[in-house]
Amino acid sequence: MVDTEENSKKWDFFERIVQDVNENRNLLQCISCGKCVGDCPASKISNFNIRKIVQRVLAGDESILEEEDIWYCFLCNKCSKLCPKEGINIPLFMLALRNEAFKKGQKIPQLKKYINMCKDFLNNGTVMKESELTSERIKEIQEICKFARIKYLQKASKKKIGVQE
Amino acid sequence: MEEIEPIFLNPNEILRDNPDNPLDFFKDKAICLFKACLEYYYPGIRNCLRELLEDFNFEVKTSLEQSCCSGTFLQRNLITRAQFAAINERNIASMNEIADILIVSCNGCYNSLLRGRNFLRTEEIKDKATKILKEINKEILFRPKLKVIHVLDFLHLIRENIADKLKFTLKGLKCAVHYGCHYLNLRFDKLDDKSFVAPKHKLEDLIESLGGSVADYQERESCCGWGASQNVIHREEALKITFNKLKSAENAGADLLVTNCPTCLYTLNKFRDYMQELFGESPQIPAIHINELIGVLMEYECDHYCLTRVSPLIEELKI
Repeated sequence: MVDTEENSKKWDFFERIVQDVNENRNLLQCISCGKCVGDCPASKISNFNIRKIVQRVLAGDESILEEEDIWYCFLCNKCSKLCPKEGINIPLFMLALRNEAFKKGQKIPQLKKYINMCKDFLNNGTVMKESELTSERIKEIQEICKFARIKYLQKASKKKIGVQE
Repeated sequence: MEEIEPIFLNPNEILRDNPDNPLDFFKDKAICLFKACLEYYYPGIRNCLRELLEDFNFEVKTSLEQSCCSGTFLQRNLITRAQFAAINERNIASMNEIADILIVSCNGCYNSLLRGRNFLRTEEIKDKATKILKEINKEILFRPKLKVIHVLDFLHLIRENIADKLKFTLKGLKCAVHYGCHYLNLRFDKLDDKSFVAPKHKLEDLIESLGGSVADYQERESCCGWGASQNVIHREEALKITFNKLKSAENAGADLLVTNCPTCLYTLNKFRDYMQELFGESPQIPAIHINELIGVLMEYECDHYCLTRVSPLIEELKI
């Protein structure tokens, strides 16, 4: 088959997902059997359908990044246990998709619910209000997270990730 | 290339090498307890385990340097895999200095420690994490002496020793069990696919050792509804999962729901009033962490919140 421009463009999206997490290449083995959907908790309470999401990514359909669906995954790994193929890791695939949504500057309004947790973690080293960590140890956590998105969320920067407190 | 050595203990090996008394494996080893964030609401989880270990004459420590496992931030892409691995390696390094064995009473924290370590097997992530750790004068420990074990695997190994020490048993009480997804579906600590997909039964074994009977129920393997913070971002929908789970356990005639994860416990307990509002019904079955349950049966000093959840049942047991 001639590799038309359209065809190669179709795989751009998939390749970016693979570049983020190498294991995602295993998605090419997906036979779309749907076992993953059968006992998926997210599918029980939303339109989240992992089989369709895999199909859309393999078809190069980037509009999936704009949809609320990808934020419904429970990351419970049940699907990986049920999957008849080897090495398909749905939680890592979902994290890579969400990462792409971030990079594309998608608005992710649910994240405003994380603002306080982020603040507590960066100020105390735990997500609770109380901490036994000394300020010297907390600085280590802040150093590790120096360039993390968690910092932007701490500042609740509307521009960076589309949230406000 | 230096290899990252796995950090988890293999309970089957311990059992194989110490068939008569698996507790012998832990003798003369310093034990550290990992502090899970949600133990803040359930202090009995750590206190009861500490008392139990001290009853077995162990030296028990907690680290003053340990941070939160940061799993919740990885799950929302708020930190990278390298930053996540660095946070967990930092914790491992600090506890490696004070202990040989790390017992983790939370599925999420256990998952994070193993997941972070697993990420380091990718060269690019390992390099980034090394750089990050260098900034705080730390490094990846390729072969730490510290070994990690989930509290359920630990308690299961020593269940007969525990049974011998009980002040009173669970006699006549029917318990439903909740393992939680990150225990049931965890791949990192399994040596092969068979043990990954094999049915899990350790909580049931423990309940029976404690003198109780097990109530099998339809939603045994389903999620508690926390769902990697789905309870935070899509609460009303996620609570449907929690509600179904609790109702299913109740309908099977269970008196008590026993779990091995503080996050699951929080979800199964905290939103009963809201369920009344959402679904017109509030399940009554009490939920308890296995550490707390053992503490209650040992008559350790439990926190007030733990006791109020299970007190009517416990009074029955004492008669």
